[in-house]
Amino acid sequence: MTEKYRHLYVVIEHEDGEFLPVSFEMLGEARRLLDDFNLKYSLNEKVVAVILGHNIEDISKKLIEYGADVVIFADNHELKDIRNTIYTKVICQIAQDTKSLGEIEPEYAGEVKKPRYMFFAADSIGRHLSSTVLVELESGLASDINQLVIEDIEMSHQQKTGGTKETYKKTLKMYRPDFSGFLWTTILCLDNKNPAFQRDYHPQSCSIIPGVFESLKPDSSREGKIIEFIPTIDEEDLKVKVLSRQIIKSVVDFDTPRTIVSFGRGIKENPEQNIRLIENLAKELNAEIGVTLPISKKPYSVSPALDSKYMIPDRVIGTSGHKTSAMLYVAAGVSGAMQHVWGMKDSGFVVAINPDEDAPIKNECDIFIKGRMEDVIPLLIEEIKKQIQIVEA
Amino acid sequence: MGTLNISVIIKLEPDFSEGNVSYNPDGTLNRAETKNTLGPHSGIAAQAAFFGRVMYDAKVFIVTMGPPIADLALQQAQQISDAEELHLYSDRLFAGADTLGTAEVLRVGIEKMPHKMDIVFSGHRASDGETGQTGPQTAWKLGFTFLGNVISYSVDLETRTIRAKRLISLQGSSNVVEEVEAPLPVFISIDPTYKSNYDTISQRLAFEKYQKEAIQRAQNFKDYLKVFNAKELGVDETLVGLPGSPTIVYKVERLPKSTATRRAEVIDGTDPEQIRKVVTKMKEALSAMVIK
Repeated sequence: MTEKYRHLYVVIEHEDGEFLPVSFEMLGEARRLLDDFNLKYSLNEKVVAVILGHNIEDISKKLIEYGADVVIFADNHELKDIRNTIYTKVICQIAQDTKSLGEIEPEYAGEVKKPRYMFFAADSIGRHLSSTVLVELESGLASDINQLVIEDIEMSHQQKTGGTKETYKKTLKMYRPDFSGFLWTTILCLDNKNPAFQRDYHPQSCSIIPGVFESLKPDSSREGKIIEFIPTIDEEDLKVKVLSRQIIKSVVDFDTPRTIVSFGRGIKENPEQNIRLIENLAKELNAEIGVTLPISKKPYSVSPALDSKYMIPDRVIGTSGHKTSAMLYVAAGVSGAMQHVWGMKDSGFVVAINPDEDAPIKNECDIFIKGRMEDVIPLLIEEIKKQIQIVEA
Repeated sequence: MGTLNISVIIKLEPDFSEGNVSYNPDGTLNRAETKNTLGPHSGIAAQAAFFGRVMYDAKVFIVTMGPPIADLALQQAQQISDAEELHLYSDRLFAGADTLGTAEVLRVGIEKMPHKMDIVFSGHRASDGETGQTGPQTAWKLGFTFLGNVISYSVDLETRTIRAKRLISLQGSSNVVEEVEAPLPVFISIDPTYKSNYDTISQRLAFEKYQKEAIQRAQNFKDYLKVFNAKELGVDETLVGLPGSPTIVYKVERLPKSTATRRAEVIDGTDPEQIRKVVTKMKEALSAMVIK
């Protein structure tokens, strides 16, 4: 059967030739998905890594070690800096280049027009790049995905199918945890089969949350194809000039400290006073302070000093922020939404302070101190002071 | 010196601030009980537009797609930005749109404006949808150069160019601040850390003057409001709403409760004796208590 869409393209991110971990994580998940896919459908479709930049041919090989079957690279000095317009154009050129699509797997050459699936990183670069690429390719995109499944879906949908039952084969089910931290939404990108406005929507695409998927162990014996793509560069697409680039360390450091104290909506009864309490606890423990995502949205009004210091995205621990493997993690008034847990679960020893024993954080901690932080933290501070004196003595 | 026309795309969102947000017993958002307000990221985009108003005497136009009650968000954004026109794109045909279907409405609306826009701002992402896709997708459809994560900007009205600083977070803890220059028009998605700085006395005087004007205008916001339906905008009905949306929400479920990864020992938080044991265990975990 002829199919116009084949293969899974993964748009790789690197900073001056250094791969970002999410690139390998996406390849790992792509490999697992496509191995199952090929087995299930008796096909021979490929994981294709797409990489743009300058002087990148050598590093391209590494992507094969991490699970790609094919690497398509575009090397041009105009691609040294990541600029949205030219990157979008070149990625779209690659996605629609029937020559390289044919080279990937000669068995499907001639019939294949576009990738079947496409992955991007859900970060500062990939979030915007995926958006513009998918407008240009006129297809759909789900953002911030943390689980992927491919299966045939039978459904009837007022708009998509005009109310009749249709089977959507090889559909990518894209799961995204929603803002509340409690819901999980499955997004599908589906062709319009409704006779009133038929339209193909491929590739089915998503951006993937960094840190969610496991990368494969690199295997230097893996073999694959490396294809050079010569991009067409139009002056019109080079309007943005990069004047300078400066790397700055985040003001919040979750890597060095051995202890992190974090807080969530449990501060609500007296936000100002509770944040002060948490500050004191962190001081005694020489800890950095983290917050949950809802706190970064400033749900409570506190003094400007505390607001600008703590209720900020930079402090978020979880899928929308940082991941930590602190030796000691103290979660005060944190319910334990999946997004937050992802960011702290690799910690050594976890202590939770929470009045609600049904809070999911109980499943993720070593000690669950049942109580209000207003009551518990002063006792903790007092006891820490005593025990430090013992140590110091 | 030329003039500067600025448009801001905003969104009416659930108000997540305490006292206004309401959750169902299962932890999901109770939309009926939750108040709506101008999204916080939309508010920052409106501040960035107001910076253009103060510094370059720009004309500001606010646009949104939404139900009729979204005029509340337009009013709030006008009070921040001193906008001279508020455009609401409202039609049942637009309902259920994903980001592509939304971007199409916004593109048509912005192209239909009485003036050609030089800068279009959008917020970083919505608090309820959180995709961050609508801005860049609208930019691409408009054919505007897209600059994401902008933390500050300045415009040279003679050369019609913009200079902007962008904050790019890399996985891990380091960030990159990139300074770029581009000819107008541009589309900017504003970073949550954006701040307007008014350094000179004349800038602060202009700030006060326009702020007063903004408050007055917002009190009579209906005088500045224009509402357009699909027909008035002249959109292609197959490119908006559900027909124009490649993606659908197939299923919404509760996130599965994680299986316990640790076996928690439950401690009574009011018992100092038990707290002592906790601190001892914390100390063991750190090998020795961290001493300041």
